[in-house]
Amino acid sequence: MRWLIKSATIVDPNSPLNGKKRDILIQNGKISDIKSKISDKKAKEISFPNLHVSPGWVDTRAHFADPGEEYKEGLQNGLDAAAAGGFTHVVSMPDTTPVIDSKGQLEYLLRRSDGHATRLCPAGALSQGSKGKQLAELYDMHCSGAVMFTDGHSTKRTELMRRALEYTKTFGGVVGSLPFDEDLSAKGNMHEGVTSTMNGLKAIPTMAETIRIMRDIELLRYTGGRLHFMLVSSAEGLNLIKRAKKEGLEVTCGVSVHHLMHTDEDLVDFNSNLKVSPPFRSKSDRSALLKAVKDGTVDVICSDHRPEDVEHKKLEFPQANFGIGAIEDSFSVAMTAGVSPEQFVERTAHAGRKLIGLEASAIQKDVEADLTLFDPSLKHEVNKDHISLAYNNPYVGQELTGKVFGVIRGEAAAIR
Amino acid sequence: MTEQLSVEHLIGIKGLSKPDIELIFRTADEFKAVINRPIKKVPSLRDITVANLFFENSTRTRLSFELAEKRLSADVVNFSASSSSVKKGETLIDTVNNILAMKVDLVVMRHPDPGAALFLSKQVNTRIINAGDGTHEHPTQALLDAYSMRERLGPNFNGRKVAIVGDITHSRVALSNIYCLKTLGAEVMVCGPSTLIPKHIEALGVKVSNSLDEVLNWCDVANMLRIQLERQGGDQDVAFFPSIREYSAQYGLTLEKLNSLEKEIVVMHPGPINRGVEITSEVADSDQAIILDQVENGLAVRMAVLYLLASQIERN
Repeated sequence: MRWLIKSATIVDPNSPLNGKKRDILIQNGKISDIKSKISDKKAKEISFPNLHVSPGWVDTRAHFADPGEEYKEGLQNGLDAAAAGGFTHVVSMPDTTPVIDSKGQLEYLLRRSDGHATRLCPAGALSQGSKGKQLAELYDMHCSGAVMFTDGHSTKRTELMRRALEYTKTFGGVVGSLPFDEDLSAKGNMHEGVTSTMNGLKAIPTMAETIRIMRDIELLRYTGGRLHFMLVSSAEGLNLIKRAKKEGLEVTCGVSVHHLMHTDEDLVDFNSNLKVSPPFRSKSDRSALLKAVKDGTVDVICSDHRPEDVEHKKLEFPQANFGIGAIEDSFSVAMTAGVSPEQFVERTAHAGRKLIGLEASAIQKDVEADLTLFDPSLKHEVNKDHISLAYNNPYVGQELTGKVFGVIRGEAAAIR
Repeated sequence: MTEQLSVEHLIGIKGLSKPDIELIFRTADEFKAVINRPIKKVPSLRDITVANLFFENSTRTRLSFELAEKRLSADVVNFSASSSSVKKGETLIDTVNNILAMKVDLVVMRHPDPGAALFLSKQVNTRIINAGDGTHEHPTQALLDAYSMRERLGPNFNGRKVAIVGDITHSRVALSNIYCLKTLGAEVMVCGPSTLIPKHIEALGVKVSNSLDEVLNWCDVANMLRIQLERQGGDQDVAFFPSIREYSAQYGLTLEKLNSLEKEIVVMHPGPINRGVEITSEVADSDQAIILDQVENGLAVRMAVLYLLASQIERN
């Protein structure tokens, strides 16, 4: 297959071509030419108004509910939706039914996802059955392609976290932590603040996050190893991570696009589609997250895609499950929230690859094509027409900025 | 055309304007006269069917609503489920739509989940009166409390000082009272141990105190909330205070405390009273307590709310 991308503005902060308009020819999965003007009658032309192209984006946290709850999404749908969202790589979370805690489970995912334009990079469970008691076979999973280890929920047992950091250090594995103290947030539904008080809802204080961040950084300081805070929601949490980075610890962190967009005040009318964990926090927390995306305290931006069906979301607020399923709109949400296209590319394509140990990607001759095509400024109303089965997309009917046209990865492509 | 409320449902006090509240009060005045006549019934809602849906235990609120509906000649059906319908396998929307299919015009609902009434109002086609949604709002209680204050102290709430004492964190009564009294122009102070006062409550424009003596010397009205043991968590949870005995010693209202005050204050309680816990028997039975007036006014206020919402329904 031969593709010719016409007149695309290159977005890649690491490249001398950043900001330049080029034609890009792709043959047999490789970039064979980049010029101001290329003609090739045999190639299939890709042309959109205001077309931009960047190295393929990496989503470092998504759930496809497969195996176990395929009716909520499933791998096939999930990966197609991810491609439509502009992601050429997605890190899937292991909290499925059963849990992804062995080589066999990992191989199911890798086999079933083969051949998609979006490559699945599974995370393996940290503990057996994600029960938080004994380490899973981390090395075996590492050798089978697991890019990170996390239980999908927070790791309550301090001793387990210590052992995990020590054990993964020997092979350079990344431990994913969800900083969330269950004791302080038992049955909590939203951020503890003025809105939770007005709504009479059980709430989750910021310190539920910071206490865990402090604990895990303290462990990391002692054990060494690589620690990734998968989702951070507060300014205080960011400050702790910033200090640890300054100290030289190998710590990274991520933020979901939704936390860059929303605050707890958006929950004033009990919209269960905006019920997420960790919860949306205050306006100043949101500003701090946006600033941290800019200054690099936040390493990666992720979709935190968590599809739910209507039966688990269209409920009384405390009964509804947590999560937003909007992987296809992630980029638009980030653009609307005020992230720049360069920042988004940096925090997904580059930092995402670095986090999960992939080679850096670049738009240059003779390298494998790994590209996302988009328009960063197209305003559009989000319609119901999604590949994802998720009912819980709060953006339907809203106007967002930025639109993805598709991805090309090697010989595979998904262009709308 | 009679005067109308600005809302289609009574979800909470937060959605009401001051003229709404005053309209409810004026309408309640008329119904209070009705329920004190020898024939205490009017035919206003004889063509209306009301369903009382109680997904949480309640004796008095349900009784009060049911009587209010009957005094207005409405047809009444009752539905009770000890826990939320979700646990039984049927969703709240399905439960309510089933009942509405039997041609019910108005729904009165109590539910353990905050936001349940608002959620329902967006999903089903009926008018809803919130009879308490978890720890969120209990609008008719706040209306009857304010109505009772108005009866005792006059219609002008400006500068009136009201203390709410007890478990503020778990109280829908407190939250609705705060919204109602602030809308009417009163000053509010909440009082209790810090564990029972939400950290961000001051943002609602109320003062906070941990001293009952301070609060009693400040206020014109003391609303002593019931300590709800069932809301203090299960065996696995950390309790909010060590014992009832210790709570009562600090925050229980005694006749001695009441008599030591320079002015006479009004004592209220939403019931049911734990005698000897929030207030002693002497206080509950004293002239300063208007607890039974509150109950009577509850009937009149609920009749007013039912009447005003039903008057918005096309009935020809």
